[in-house]
Amino acid sequence: MDLGPHAVFIVASYLGAAAVLAALIGWLVLDGRRQARALEELEARGVRRRSRGG
Amino acid sequence: MTRKQRRGIMIGTGVGVLSVAAILVLFALRDSVVFFHTPSDVAEKKIGANQRIRLGGLVAEGSVKRGAGATVGFAVTDTLKTINVSYTGLLPDLFREGQGVVAEGKLDAAGLFVADSVLAKHDENYMPPEVAKSLKERGVTLGKSSKHPDAAAPGGGAGK
Amino acid sequence: MPAAGRRVTGVSCADPLQGLNRAMQNQSLTQKLANPTRFMDLSGRLLPWLAWGSTSIIAAALYLAFFVAPPDYQQGHTVKIMFIHVPSAWLAMMAYALIAASSFGLLVFRHPLADVSAKAAAPIGAAFTLLALVTGSLWGKPMWGAYWVWDARLTSVLMLFFLYLGLMALRSSMEDEALAAKLTAVLALVGVVLLPIIKFSVDWWNTLHQPSTGLTSTVHTSIRTPLLVSAVGFSLLFFAMHLKGMRNEVLRRRVKALRLAEVERAQGAGGGRVAAPAE
Repeated sequence: MDLGPHAVFIVASYLGAAAVLAALIGWLVLDGRRQARALEELEARGVRRRSRGG
Repeated sequence: MTRKQRRGIMIGTGVGVLSVAAILVLFALRDSVVFFHTPSDVAEKKIGANQRIRLGGLVAEGSVKRGAGATVGFAVTDTLKTINVSYTGLLPDLFREGQGVVAEGKLDAAGLFVADSVLAKHDENYMPPEVAKSLKERGVTLGKSSKHPDAAAPGGGAGK
Repeated sequence: MPAAGRRVTGVSCADPLQGLNRAMQNQSLTQKLANPTRFMDLSGRLLPWLAWGSTSIIAAALYLAFFVAPPDYQQGHTVKIMFIHVPSAWLAMMAYALIAASSFGLLVFRHPLADVSAKAAAPIGAAFTLLALVTGSLWGKPMWGAYWVWDARLTSVLMLFFLYLGLMALRSSMEDEALAAKLTAVLALVGVVLLPIIKFSVDWWNTLHQPSTGLTSTVHTSIRTPLLVSAVGFSLLFFAMHLKGMRNEVLRRRVKALRLAEVERAQGAGGGRVAAPAE
């Protein structure tokens, strides 16, 4: 595919966008796992929220 | 009136007052926020020689003259007034006659604008080359109107 | 002790379940979603659809951008940068509008999820603002002849980026989360004046940036269609990421509450002793 004389700017834009979005998604997924694990550990230790455990 | 309503009105008024204030400030600053001066502005505000400004407008049709080396001469127009510009250096890709341009530099004593940088200003029309070509064949001038040339196509002549 | 149970039996002694149903039907949608447990349930079901929807629409947009969209009569193929630049810029502003609305919801209605929404949207909005700035710069160099100029549009979007950073910094600078939430919401509402300035900067002042690429007729259909598909894909991606961020924040707050409860119980179990030894 011929993108013309400014191909480098086009490719850099798309790669830049992919990198920023991938970093954001990666952070969200990892953060979600970390919180879920912390919650599981606490519940495994028998800590309950008042609304559930009375 | 409930507390909730009172909070809502207070916050709404606060944001409203702030917006009005900000817009007034920006309105007062209007002249210094502009990125460039048109040739008419230059005449109106009596911008003198050796005052560094940005001059913006359209490159007048048929005005581009390649001089010695990398020096280019062209005229910037806002259709009312025209100023001749001399520039030495590489021109951006989009620089062409009938298209927008912003040149930075100073007027010399003779009224020639000596630019040391030239930026192309493109318009908000986007279309494939074939469409542009057929529009041109139908006599529509591209790049001069803020309206899409398609809209003015049947009459020929884009609103000006 | 459980207040909800007592209220239900108060509604209808004969059939508590029916009373509960009726009570729930009387709630508005926002009130239903206000319950974090129900939010987690609903968002958990919605998220995979949003994620896959946005992925496939963005894939379609990429196909349209590289294999279908024609070059522009002036800019050639460089116009392809628009397909990420314009949606990013739209979302940068939409995310801020969402933060402002959430902040209003927090300050006025004390909606329990409003602050979660405002907090989750900030880094995502900042990322899209950064994308708009970076792709704009990469578009400006070959077309205008400069990576950056200090015109009203570019400068006001840069201010939006710093505003996002300011919101995040302000929030993280305070220990007291409830206070941080309120002060951040106030700053977010003050900053909302920037949105109309960005939007109309190209009309109020002359700028190097071209007038807005709206859904008006200034973009030929063959270039507008990929732009719209891309914008829809980016928007779905934004909502997917925002929902995920909100879910993470709800979990984080639960973890924090449980840790507090654990400490409290440990102290309580000490039977009145001055301090329970750490485990």
